[in-house]
Amino acid sequence: MSTRVYLCKCGNNIAGHLDLDALAGQISTKNEATEVVIVDFLCSDEGQEFMHGDLIGSQADRVVIGACSPRDHEHTFRQVLKESNLNAYLMQMVNIREQVAWVTDDRHEAEAKAGSLLSGAIKRVLLHQPLSDRELEISTDALVIGAGPAGMKCALTLASAGRTVTLVEKSPAIGGLPVLFEEVAPDFQCGPCLLEPLMEELLHGNHAHRIDLMTMAELHGLKGSYGNYLATVKQSPRRIDPSVCIGCYECIAPCPATITDTSDYRVARAEKNAISFAFQGVLPNAPFIDEALCLRFRGEECTSCLDACPMEEAIVFSQEEALIEKKVGAIVVATGAALYDPTAISGLGYGIIPDVITSLEFERLMSANGPTDGQLLTSAGIPPEKICIIHCAGSLEADHIPYCSGICCTYALKFSRMLSKKLPEAAIVHLYKELVLPGKSSIDLARKVRNQPDTSFQRFSSINTIQISEREGKKFVRSPEGEMEADLIILCPPVVPTTDAPQLSAILEANRDRDGFFEPLGDRLDSAQSTVKGIYLAGNCQHPGDIREAVNQGMAAAGYVLSGLVEGRNLQVSPVVAVVDQDICSGCRVCGAICPYQAIDIDETDGKSRINDVLCQGCGTCVAACPAGAISGNQFTHQQIMAELEGILL
Amino acid sequence: MSTTFEAKVVGFLCNWCSYAGADKAGGAQKPYPHNFKIIRVMCSGRVEPEFVLEAFRKGATGVVILACHPGDCHYKTGNVIAAGRFRLLKKLLIQLGIDEKRLIMEYISASEGERFIEVITKTVRDLESLETAPA
Repeated sequence: MSTRVYLCKCGNNIAGHLDLDALAGQISTKNEATEVVIVDFLCSDEGQEFMHGDLIGSQADRVVIGACSPRDHEHTFRQVLKESNLNAYLMQMVNIREQVAWVTDDRHEAEAKAGSLLSGAIKRVLLHQPLSDRELEISTDALVIGAGPAGMKCALTLASAGRTVTLVEKSPAIGGLPVLFEEVAPDFQCGPCLLEPLMEELLHGNHAHRIDLMTMAELHGLKGSYGNYLATVKQSPRRIDPSVCIGCYECIAPCPATITDTSDYRVARAEKNAISFAFQGVLPNAPFIDEALCLRFRGEECTSCLDACPMEEAIVFSQEEALIEKKVGAIVVATGAALYDPTAISGLGYGIIPDVITSLEFERLMSANGPTDGQLLTSAGIPPEKICIIHCAGSLEADHIPYCSGICCTYALKFSRMLSKKLPEAAIVHLYKELVLPGKSSIDLARKVRNQPDTSFQRFSSINTIQISEREGKKFVRSPEGEMEADLIILCPPVVPTTDAPQLSAILEANRDRDGFFEPLGDRLDSAQSTVKGIYLAGNCQHPGDIREAVNQGMAAAGYVLSGLVEGRNLQVSPVVAVVDQDICSGCRVCGAICPYQAIDIDETDGKSRINDVLCQGCGTCVAACPAGAISGNQFTHQQIMAELEGILL
Repeated sequence: MSTTFEAKVVGFLCNWCSYAGADKAGGAQKPYPHNFKIIRVMCSGRVEPEFVLEAFRKGATGVVILACHPGDCHYKTGNVIAAGRFRLLKKLLIQLGIDEKRLIMEYISASEGERFIEVITKTVRDLESLETAPA
C-alpha cells in the first residue's frame, strides 16, 4: 500500500504561513510508504489534471490532501480519484488553511500542527475501505392521501407530468371542506364553484386517466421506502358503481331506512337514508350505502333502491371490502384537519344549549348544498335577529389550545358579511380574544364589517370567562364586560389534527409534533417534507392554514416528487451510511429508538436491526449508541477515528 | 521548578455547525491557540465515549465536543443525544480519576466564528491553568 500526500500551496494562503517543504520532509520521514507532493492551487483545472496524472503514475492506493476545508473541495478531489481509477473514498482531506495557516501566527507552530493533523489523516486513510454508490430503480408514481384542495391540486399536477397517481379519499366525496362552504373568503366565490374546474379536470380532464381516484378508501399499510413503497389501501364498499350510476337520485326516496346524519355533510340537521348522496352536487356524482343503516345488513331482503334504479348494475349489493396494493415512489399526506370540540369549554354550553353552533355547522346551514338548503333558522324555526360570533373559542388558552389557527378571524368576518346580506336587520356582535388579520385582503374585509350597521366588536380576556346560558327561552352571552342576548351563537374553535392522525402517523412512521400535526423536516425551508424521506405533507394536516397555503404545499409536495423521482434516473444511494453487523447485533433496539429518520427496522425473522441505506443520512448517532459496537459508520468507523486520534496526539 | 506547559487539546466538531464555525473563524484569519486540533465528524451524535477516553489515554489535556445549538442539529436530534452522553461521561471521568473539567461541550453554529475563537481560547487557557494550579 502506498499513500500519496498532496499539499496545496493555495498561492500564498497556505505557503505563506508555514514551510511546506519542511512539512513535506517531516511527513515522509515519519510515515512509511508515504510520498508528498506540493502543488499550487490543487483545486484548479491544472491542479486537478496534475493530480490525475500523478495518481495514475504513482499507483498510490491511498490519498491524503492537505489544503482548504473539506467542506469546500472534498467532492472535487473525490471526483479526481474516480477519474484516476481510484475509489473516491480512499482519500482523507485535512484542513490546513482555515484551521491552521490562517489562524496560527507562529510558523513553527503552524507547521507542527499541520504535521499532527496530516499524521492523523495518514493513519486514518489506511483504514478506509472502497465504497460505492448503490443504484436503485424507482417508481415515479405517487399515492396522495386526501382529495381536498391540496391533494387534488397535487394529484393533478403529478398526472399532468405523466405520473400515475392514486388519490385515496376516506369519504365518498372529493373537495374536502371548501366544497361544503357557500362562500369562500376573501373574494366570496362559492366553494363548489371555486373547486369545480379543478374537480372536473381531475375526473374528466386530459390527465384524468392517470389518476386512480379511490373514494371511501384509506391507507391500511405501508412497506418499503423512498422510491420503492408498497402501499396497501383498504377500499370500503360503496355498493354503487360510479361509472354506471347516472346520479339521478331515483333510489333515495324509496329507501325505508333513515337516520339523522351527524357527519359534516348534514351536521345532525337533517336525515339521510341508508342509500344517500353526501350532498347535492357531490363528486363523484353517485350515492353510497351505509351498512350500519341498510336493512339488507340486518337480514331483510330489501331491494327498494335497486327496484327504483333505471340503470343495470349501478347498484351492486355484493361489493365487498378489498385490500388493494399499489407500488409507488412517494406518499403525499393531505388529510386536512378538524375543529377543536367546544364541549371541552363548559361555559359555552355547546351540545347542551340549542343554537350554539360551530363555524363548520354554520357553513353547512348557509350552504345551498347543506341540510337546510341554505336557510338559516334557529331552533325556534325563525331567522336569528341577534347573532354572536365568538372568535378564539379555545385558542390561545393554556388549558385548551395554545396557538392561533390564523384563519378563523377571516372566516368570522366572512360570516359577518354573509349574515349582513342575508339578514340586513340582524345585530351582530363579534367577541374576540385577539383579532388576527393576515394577508392583503383581510383588512378590507374587517373595514367592511366594521361599517355594517348594527355590528360591534368586543374583546375578552379568556374564553373561560364567557358564560352562555338559557333563561325563559332566551339565550345570553355573559362576559366580564356585561351580558347580551343572542339567538344564534357561532363558535370559532381552533384547528386541530384529525382524530385518525395518530393511526395514519403510525402506519407512515412519520412523526407528529407537540400539537399532533405531522412534523415537517424543517419548519422554514422544508415544511412540505416529513422527516421520512419520500413522505410529503400538504395542508392542514401539517399546519393550520387557509386554502391558499394548503394548495401551495400540495404543489410543493408535487415538486419534490417530480424532481426527486425521475423516469430513467436511478436513485443514487450514498454509501456514507451506517451498517449493522448481524453477527454482533443482539436485537436490543437502542439504535432504532434514536434514529431520527426511521431508517432502522427490526428483521422479523431474527429480531436484529437492519438499516435502510435509502433513509439513513449517515449521522452516526446509532453507531455511537450501539452497546455492542455492532454498527459501523462507513467512512467514519470507530477504527478510523481512533487512528486519526492517535496520529493527532502523537 | 516551573515549566511552560503546553496543553494538547482535541476537539470533535460536527460538519454542519461547529466545523463550519471553525472554518468561518479561519476565514476571519484571527489567531487562536495552535494546540487545539480538530477531528471532523458528521454529527456530534457520532462521538463515542470511547473516543474521549482514548484521547485522555493518549495524553490529551482536554477534550472538546462542539455541536449545533439545540433545535438546529442537521440530523434533528444528534446533538441532544450527544449532550446526554456528555453529562454521563463527566460522571464517569470522575470515577476514573480524571478531572471532569477536562471534558467540555459547547454549542457553536456555522456563523459563530468569533464565538468559536473565544470558546477555544478560553478552554485552552483554562486547561493549561489546571495543570499549573497548585496541588
